[in-house]
Amino acid sequence: MQIIENSKVKEKVLIEKLSNGLTVMIIPKKNTNKKSAIYGTKFGSIDNHFIHAIENKEVQIPDGVAHFLEHKMFEQEDGTNSLDTLSALGVEANAYTTNDHTAYLFNGTENFEDALQELMNYVQNPYFTDENVEKEKGIIGQEIRMYDDDPVSKIYLNLLNCLYQENPVKLDIAGTVESIEKINKGILYDSYNTFYSPSNMVLVICGDFDEQEILNKIKRAQKDNQNNEKIKRIYPTEKNKINQSRLEEKMNVSNPIFAIGIKDTPVSSTERIKRSLIIEILSILLLGNSSPLYQELYKQGNLVGEVNLEYDFSDEYAYITISGQAKDPDNIFDRLKKEISKMKQNGISQEDYERIKKKVYGSYIIEYNDPAEIVKTFLVDYLHGIHTFDFLEEFSTISKEDVENGLKEVFIEENMAISIIKPKD
Amino acid sequence: MREKRTEIKKGIILHEIETKAFKTDLIAVFLTIPLTRDNVTKNTLVNLLLHRGTENLKTQEDINKALENLYGATFDYGIEKTGDNHVMKFYIENINDQFLPQKDSNFQKSFEILSDIIWNPYLEDGQFKQEYVNGEKQKLERIILSKIDNKTNYSISRCIEEMYQGEPYGLYKYGYLEDIQHYDSKELYQHYQEIMKQCKIDIFVSGNIEENIERIIKDNKNIKKLNEREPRYIPISNVNKKQRTELQEIKESMDVAQGKIIMGLDINDSEMSSKYIALVYNAILGGTANSKLFQEVREKESLAYSASSSYLKPKNNIFILCGIDCEDYDKTIQIIKKQIEDMKEGRFTQEDLDNAKHYILTTIKAISSEQDTEISYYFGQELSDQSLSLEEYRSKIERIKKDDVIQLAKRITINTIYFLQN
Repeated sequence: MQIIENSKVKEKVLIEKLSNGLTVMIIPKKNTNKKSAIYGTKFGSIDNHFIHAIENKEVQIPDGVAHFLEHKMFEQEDGTNSLDTLSALGVEANAYTTNDHTAYLFNGTENFEDALQELMNYVQNPYFTDENVEKEKGIIGQEIRMYDDDPVSKIYLNLLNCLYQENPVKLDIAGTVESIEKINKGILYDSYNTFYSPSNMVLVICGDFDEQEILNKIKRAQKDNQNNEKIKRIYPTEKNKINQSRLEEKMNVSNPIFAIGIKDTPVSSTERIKRSLIIEILSILLLGNSSPLYQELYKQGNLVGEVNLEYDFSDEYAYITISGQAKDPDNIFDRLKKEISKMKQNGISQEDYERIKKKVYGSYIIEYNDPAEIVKTFLVDYLHGIHTFDFLEEFSTISKEDVENGLKEVFIEENMAISIIKPKD
Repeated sequence: MREKRTEIKKGIILHEIETKAFKTDLIAVFLTIPLTRDNVTKNTLVNLLLHRGTENLKTQEDINKALENLYGATFDYGIEKTGDNHVMKFYIENINDQFLPQKDSNFQKSFEILSDIIWNPYLEDGQFKQEYVNGEKQKLERIILSKIDNKTNYSISRCIEEMYQGEPYGLYKYGYLEDIQHYDSKELYQHYQEIMKQCKIDIFVSGNIEENIERIIKDNKNIKKLNEREPRYIPISNVNKKQRTELQEIKESMDVAQGKIIMGLDINDSEMSSKYIALVYNAILGGTANSKLFQEVREKESLAYSASSSYLKPKNNIFILCGIDCEDYDKTIQIIKKQIEDMKEGRFTQEDLDNAKHYILTTIKAISSEQDTEISYYFGQELSDQSLSLEEYRSKIERIKKDDVIQLAKRITINTIYFLQN
């Protein structure tokens, strides 16, 4: 067992790779009665074309399978539903699917070990029938309809369609009402058998418990692994160029909303932390709520409320999103481009740089407040090939020059696009 | 009791919650006044204006820079409707001193900024700066218009408005478009002064703070200037509830892909103790994945992705929410009504009851694992003039029997069915 401690945030993590290939991370946390667990696989909506792990054949699956599979994992052969079982144990259970991973989780204050047992049990034991697959189509259909009415989901989806030409990151995670119609139990088993192998998965728990004892329990509940082959995923080649620089749609909203995206090139896992810290600092310098541009746009009444700044990255894609509510989104896009070129010319002031660095540092400390957030962060970082503590450590290696270089390298006008949703007349 | 309650002046209460579970200190200041049709929009404008600048930090930019220098302390504010009160909320969360790269006193500095934002606003000619007033009026206009953006929240708001027509709780918490232009800078400042003179003030501090919190708060110059008061607010109780004699059905059309049913239920029981039973009732009906609504509407009939209910303690109502295909309206309503009937007839098992109680007990246990949740809990106690500890709260739930739930179920009626349709 590997133990990594971090003196800055005063936390530690215990990591062990089990004999079946599963990575287990335990973050001990005293002084809290909340305990959290998350169990995830590197299988998301972008993984729609791959080589079947057992049969060694090429498989192409309909859009929305990873998410559909997530829904179906809860149903057990004995007729029980694990969501009910976990609920009855008094824990709050949930699951989610993103573009590049799927995760099953629960949080609670008691029955942690029983709940963990149930979590490992249902994720390791799929049970799909023609009937239960058909039934789910109605429920997921309503979930898709719910997001159809949600302007925030729509604006991100449209933005990804602007940024990407081929990469399946541009597709809706849940698929469409039409694409899920094509899903059957065979497709679900093919996907499960390929992507739910222990070496493609990670289990993270956080809370106050006897670490060795809980690790032994985990080991006992893990099945042997039949296949440990490296998964062969097939992705289309994505050009550096964006697809289109602007997409506008009308919906039932009160005010225009916008999402500006900047397409970035994915970097190797050793470079990801530094790059994401630099991009975070730059985004705040450009449009954070103390920036001159934000202040100007707010005073003009163009921007309403704060702007959300995000950086998403995986092996296959990386992009920045800047989103918010505005009176005139095109003007914001234009002003941002000008501000970027101004900053490229004039550089960044030492004072601003130091201040924003402090802010970002604080935001990484706050991540260790809540066991539920802690496990999620460690899981996502692990699946991205990075270690969560390194964000705090790599801080000291960043210089103002790095940030200025990052600006020139990433914030390029040709890679920018805007997605806008305007009210219907 | 984890909470230490001190009256620092009449009408001004300090609540200290000592906890070692977090990397942060959270300070919250809640100002409570009775909500009326006349003050709802004004209150919101005042709430919005305060974040624009203080005498020491004259612009939003200055405030934000000061916060960033405290290792990204975050300021947040908002306005809520709690029972028949309007509550202005202000928060600062900062990194606890022991996690700073160098020694500092983050808590004291944060409280200074927060108290300045609330009690030492930036003024020009003895009133709020005109530019700030204009800007925040525009912003409020857009906030009110954006009510339609989230269809679920919109539907819930609309159902509440229909249920509580003509009463404070039926008001939209951000106010009304037609009011905004009525108030000038001078009037808003006068209104601000009145609020500050009369409101109930609750200051919450949660964290592992080495300094003497009470001393720091009492010595703060803004706190020193505050007058003693007999705070005007409306304690939360179950009495004086108007009853509807017949069910009201509202249908509203909008261009939506999914229809939303919101059903508002009245709990016709004025005993304070019934609130605990109502929690259990709600958990069985629609509070969890084991609940009747989730099982029947979603799992058995595949009619919905969302099918749930939630209990709103201050006004003693339950709201049922289902997102469905519009053509399934009648079928869904029938299933929901059947579940409400089944509750009255006691058609739920001892296991359902135990699961529901267990679920609530664990949520109570989890209250102290989030700083703002714990603060909200104690504030709820404060407004209902109670001081129930989390342990006492648990034991109230533990004692509930199946028959208690059935008796309560018999006093539950449907007040309003709201449907947002295509």
